[in-house]
Amino acid sequence: MADKNYYTIDPLGKLRCMKCNVPLVKGKARFMYLDNGFPVELPVCPSCGFVYVPEELALGKVLAVEKALEDK
Amino acid sequence: MAMEERSTRIYRQQQMLSKEALTEIENLCIHEQPAYCVAACPFKLDAKQMVRAVAGGDFAKALALYEKITPFVHILSAGCEAPCEQKCKLCEAGEGIAIHELERAVARFGKSPKNKGLLRFKKRKSVAIFGSSLFSLFLAGELAKKAYPLTIYCDEPDAAAFVAAGASFLDSDGLNAEVETLQSMDITFRFGTKLTAQLFEQKKTAYDIVGASPRLLSGFWPGFEVDEATMLCKEVQVISTPVGAQGVLASLFGAKKAALTVDRLAQNLDPRSSRGDEGASETALITNMDSVAGSCRIHCEKEGYTKEDAITEAKRCIQCSCTECVKGCVYLQHYKKYPKVLTREIYNNVSIIMGDHMMNKPINSCALCGQCAVVCPNGYDMADICLMARRNMVTTDKMPLAPHEFALLDQMFSNEEAFLCKPQPGFAKSKYVFFPGCQAAAIAPDTVRAVYLDLSSRLEGGVALLLGCCGAISEWAGRYQMYDEAVAFIDARLKELGNPAVIAGCPTCKKMLSQHYDGEIVGIWDVLEEIGLPKGAQKISRPVAMHDSCGARGDAHTQQTIRKLAGKLGCELVETEFSGDTSPCCGYGGLVMYANREVAHEMAQMCVNRTDAPYITYCMACRDRFAREGRESRHILELIYGTNAGEPPDISEKRYNRLMLKNGLLHEIWGEEILEMTCEFPITFMPEALKLMDDRMILKEDVIKVMESFRETEEAIFDSESGLMITRKRIGNVTFWVKYEEQDGGYLIHSAYSHRMKIDSSQ
Ligand code: SF4
Ligand code: SF4
Ligand code: SF4
Ligand SMILES: [Zn+2]
Repeated sequence: MADKNYYTIDPLGKLRCMKCNVPLVKGKARFMYLDNGFPVELPVCPSCGFVYVPEELALGKVLAVEKALEDK
Repeated sequence: MAMEERSTRIYRQQQMLSKEALTEIENLCIHEQPAYCVAACPFKLDAKQMVRAVAGGDFAKALALYEKITPFVHILSAGCEAPCEQKCKLCEAGEGIAIHELERAVARFGKSPKNKGLLRFKKRKSVAIFGSSLFSLFLAGELAKKAYPLTIYCDEPDAAAFVAAGASFLDSDGLNAEVETLQSMDITFRFGTKLTAQLFEQKKTAYDIVGASPRLLSGFWPGFEVDEATMLCKEVQVISTPVGAQGVLASLFGAKKAALTVDRLAQNLDPRSSRGDEGASETALITNMDSVAGSCRIHCEKEGYTKEDAITEAKRCIQCSCTECVKGCVYLQHYKKYPKVLTREIYNNVSIIMGDHMMNKPINSCALCGQCAVVCPNGYDMADICLMARRNMVTTDKMPLAPHEFALLDQMFSNEEAFLCKPQPGFAKSKYVFFPGCQAAAIAPDTVRAVYLDLSSRLEGGVALLLGCCGAISEWAGRYQMYDEAVAFIDARLKELGNPAVIAGCPTCKKMLSQHYDGEIVGIWDVLEEIGLPKGAQKISRPVAMHDSCGARGDAHTQQTIRKLAGKLGCELVETEFSGDTSPCCGYGGLVMYANREVAHEMAQMCVNRTDAPYITYCMACRDRFAREGRESRHILELIYGTNAGEPPDISEKRYNRLMLKNGLLHEIWGEEILEMTCEFPITFMPEALKLMDDRMILKEDVIKVMESFRETEEAIFDSESGLMITRKRIGNVTFWVKYEEQDGGYLIHSAYSHRMKIDSSQ
């Protein structure tokens, strides 16, 4: 359970970091909200560490989890 | 401007109300009180439900309800004196429901499923009844239902004769039906027994409890009385009924009391103690008859109603209850709950320490408008409960910031960046201060300007201007510390002005300020009523409806003054349901539009759906919300000053309007040079982006900050699929993302979104 990733999103070679000019890769990150943390796998720049949260994810699952935590 | 997110690790607890106070509040609601007909029935027949079943043509269900009273429904329906009928609420407006005739119809047309009643274990104690009578029959029915092993001794040769001896008034159909009912019961009969005192003495020892018909009892032991409370003749320990009490109603009532006594005796308990409440009662129900038109009974032939006539008669029933608060409140309708239930659930929600707080959203979805307290016959005030709950959750750190943060930041914006407080040029002292309210400045800045120019030219003694928020937002959010700070801030500014008379532009501001400000407070409407309308006032030439602000609830003076002004303008007002003190909230009150958009939308819909006419309002938030629903609406000040705020502004424009109003007036009236706020790079928004941003509570200012940050960090990604660049910045408790393309050395914004979660990539 400890290592379960809540969301896994693959950049599929479509995303590039503009600053480092390299493709984003699937990387580990953590979402934190109201003292709770979730391991996730998101598109990340292997060079500068920029983590991308796509719109669908932000307005979908992330929002749902936020709401659930808010009512804890 | 920043607010701190709560911690979910700290569990604080505070009681919202004492248990006693909670019960006292809950008891105000009489929704669960029995209907008038139900309370009047000594057997507590649920006549309301029975009549409802008949109205729906469901005679089987109606019979099932009726049979709860006694299995002998033909006897009861033939002879009951029907005290319920006199108490029927419809008697106040025409004729009451013919409950008795409906019962007869139910007995005739209802089919009860055979073989009902599960196989039940017989009770240990045995009972015998001696002699036929109506009382004996009903008692047999009660005891059979309670599964006592029962033996009946009687002179009569068979069941038909036994029933006929008790209920000689039955017609042959009724008689046959009741004989069948009796025979379906598990009873041992000793027909044709010669009932003598000796036989009685000899047999009775074989049973634990014995009953006798009143005729036998008085024949064997003349002079012994039956106790009316227990139906027990103490001297001989025999259950019976007084000889005089032999009508159907009295006999059944006696049989029910007797059956309870049997229970008590079977358990070796005192038959007089803990009998619960028996018989008819008074109800505290209040049913509003204002909109009930009286009607007459459907004529009934001697043989009784036909099915169709019974249904028609039953349909006249108004199903008495109290629904006053629900009628005008979208919030209660939305959650389909009465205040009593809602209060209990809210109370429980607030008391839970860990786990899901299912009621957070409902707590934050009440408009705190106070309509319920006005329409409820007992003044039940849900606003009080919801506000108490919000404050409690703030105290215990259980109130999430997300539903209210935008609004709270907006209040800070009004009282910081967009704040202005200045005496009229040339006046050291201010006799008055105009306080338009944050929403007026946000929605109709031109109107605010026009009012101020007019007041400062026509009133003498100096009219200061105060642009800011009265603190209502923090009050509604339950953030009482922030409210206290806002109050202290406003009071200090007013003190600096020399505590002038406040001319409030908004009824809610007026109400809020009057809770703490010592000086005089009047409405702009009072001033205009006194000094007259300025030139250029214009009416709406079609008939218009007046929407009363919930801030003016209980303030008849304000409601009337506004109507006088509308009259002076020449407006023709149409009447609407729920006006004056019973006006519903537009959905802005209580911050519903931030916490629950769906309910806020339904609230605005309910307001505008009262009529097709355009609306005049005297609260700018109402004006705005109605316009958003696509209904023409104008603030009365717009008409008076010949201004028109036009299309409702989006959230960014609402901020921009406040800033521009402040800067414009500072320049125009006080001659101050204002540094133009300019963005260092061109930025354009696609129309869809603006729409999304308004829905998602993202300000243009937020997007500009994201792009400024990008220019510093150059952190962004390129999405080859959409061809757009995407960047982000965390501002306060929110991460904002912007999708854009570069254009003319600046940016064209395609979309923006946000989340509150933080991303930690350090792993
Ligand atoms: S108006 Fe509402 S709160 Fe008041 S008694 Fe009736 S149902 Fe209860
Ligand atoms: S109108 Fe219906 S519910 Fe009301 S008292 Fe009469 S029968 Fe009962
Ligand atoms: S929205 Fe208004 S009427 Fe409805 S429960 Fe809340 S305060 Fe009462
Ligand atoms: Zn990078």
